Amino acid sequence: MPKRKLDPLPSAAFHILLSLADEDRHGYGIMRQVEQQSGGRMRLGPGTLYSSIQTLLEEKLIEEAGPPRNDDSPNSERRRYYRLTSGGRKLARSEADRLADLLRLARSRKIFRGEYV
Amino acid sequence: MSEKIYTLLLRLYPARFRACYGEESLQLFRDRLRDEAGFYARLRLWLDLLTDTVIALPRSHRMGQPATGVATSPGLADGLPSFEVLDRAPLRPAAIVAAWLLSLAGAGAFFILLSYAGIRPGSPLATSQERTQSQSPSRSSSATSPSAAPSASPTSAPALTRAASTASASVANTPPNTLPQNLPAAPPASVQSPPTPPVDPAEWHRVVLGAAQNLRDHYFDRSLAQQAAAALLAQEKLGADNAAPPGDLAMLLTGQIRKATDDRHLVVVYSATPLPSVAAAPSSTIPAAYRQAMLRQNCTIEKLATLPHHIGYLKINSFPDPSICRQQIDTALISLNSADAIVFDLRNNSGGYPDMVANVAARLFDRPVPWYNPRATTSDPSWTASPVPGSGLASKPVYILTSSITLSGAEQFTYNLKMLKRATVIGEATGGSAHIGIFHRIDAHYGIGIPETRVINPYSDYDWEGVGVEPDVKVKSADALATAENLAEQRLQPNRTPR
Repeated sequence: MPKRKLDPLPSAAFHILLSLADEDRHGYGIMRQVEQQSGGRMRLGPGTLYSSIQTLLEEKLIEEAGPPRNDDSPNSERRRYYRLTSGGRKLARSEADRLADLLRLARSRKIFRGEYV
Repeated sequence: MSEKIYTLLLRLYPARFRACYGEESLQLFRDRLRDEAGFYARLRLWLDLLTDTVIALPRSHRMGQPATGVATSPGLADGLPSFEVLDRAPLRPAAIVAAWLLSLAGAGAFFILLSYAGIRPGSPLATSQERTQSQSPSRSSSATSPSAAPSASPTSAPALTRAASTASASVANTPPNTLPQNLPAAPPASVQSPPTPPVDPAEWHRVVLGAAQNLRDHYFDRSLAQQAAAALLAQEKLGADNAAPPGDLAMLLTGQIRKATDDRHLVVVYSATPLPSVAAAPSSTIPAAYRQAMLRQNCTIEKLATLPHHIGYLKINSFPDPSICRQQIDTALISLNSADAIVFDLRNNSGGYPDMVANVAARLFDRPVPWYNPRATTSDPSWTASPVPGSGLASKPVYILTSSITLSGAEQFTYNLKMLKRATVIGEATGGSAHIGIFHRIDAHYGIGIPETRVINPYSDYDWEGVGVEPDVKVKSADALATAENLAEQRLQPNRTPR
């Protein structure tokens, strides 16, 4: 069996999965959402974005979707929209669990100063 | 303008990526361009794009072959073999033209390099080709040794090395009055350094004149010497084969002389290190060093043993000076008297003193037999000093093991016993160095070896010079001993008395 491309899950791919959790988005929409949800720390360039999307599509973690009715972005009819699949949602959840476990571990090791997380 | 630049950047991505996401990437770029106005925003946009390209390009190229891991075998489509390409997009005409130009340029560069580096005039390859061409007519007319033609020419580097080893081997063999120190220690040094500058015309002329004069003065056949000298001068006048490196000049002249005389015992050698002049040659130092070396090395007897089935085995790596080693060698041979067959292992034997060769051989006969020595100083036929009192070897089968580095005196031993049908030769053809005659210095770097005595070969028209001694049983030298043991065992089995 060939090695899974998303094991471990790259942070760009995880962010893309998270960005699609609430609604279907096109590429630029994903990029903006990722930028926003990461507090401006991650701005996906086209190369990174679309090669990640390509991999996620191949692994059936996301799928293409038709444009939503309320979309008002220019050329919306020519854009491709992406939707999270159930597999993608499951993977995102397990990745979040893994990170939560890590966080718990970090907490137990008392590496944090204060109680702000 | 910005869009054009980005389009160019996009072209760096694999075709498959561009086909799927090229338009979308461009759209994303337009969106950002639209939303991110102002100098700093634009600067950040371009920095983002460049970083992204650097990071994502290798990845997208790796992913350009997504199907490799799970590719189904193309197999046979309708019974016909078919090819599957990894890139789905057809090749663009520009790519085909670029590939065509690139391969054309590559092939052109390769051949240009080849013509400069590989077969530059004077390089070993070129010279051996020239020589083969110039020698073939004479060799085909020589009925005495048709098989000798390919290896007769001393032009290739190994051949010159061989000639050189003959030269150095004959240091030990040369009679004391011929000043062994005259011989170049390492004439083929020139062959190892390709970028040697060509010989200048004055030096060239001097060497040709010197070689011709020495031939006239010393070669035993005066009329042939005249012919060869004339041929050398004529070839030089024709201006043929000029601008060769020094080592090649030596090989070239050797070829011309051998062509004119059909005598492979003649050789012109080049020595990169200056040859000592005749006057500065004390002849007593070598024997002292040699004597010590021989005593230290047990006269080059590497192994003396009795193998199963009472086969006596003597591995000896030279035929040492009898004045130093006669007793050791005789003792070794006498110890073999009780054996039923004798194996002489000469696979590492590079020659030695003709007197010792004859001394060993004499023990193998019960009456005098004609003995050929190409280094003899008289034309009178010589005979073995058989029978030797106390030798029990005359009636024993003899096997000689040979390799391609069996040389000179060891070849004489092998050749003579083979021609006398006294030994079975097992292994590889020997190196092919007989005798390059007496060495004469031409100038500081060139010399010529000339046989000064016509030696009669009592067995056949030609000896092993340049061709080697062919074994009776041809096996790899590594397998020679096992083969000899087998043959000896088979031969001894019916006659052997139980012990």
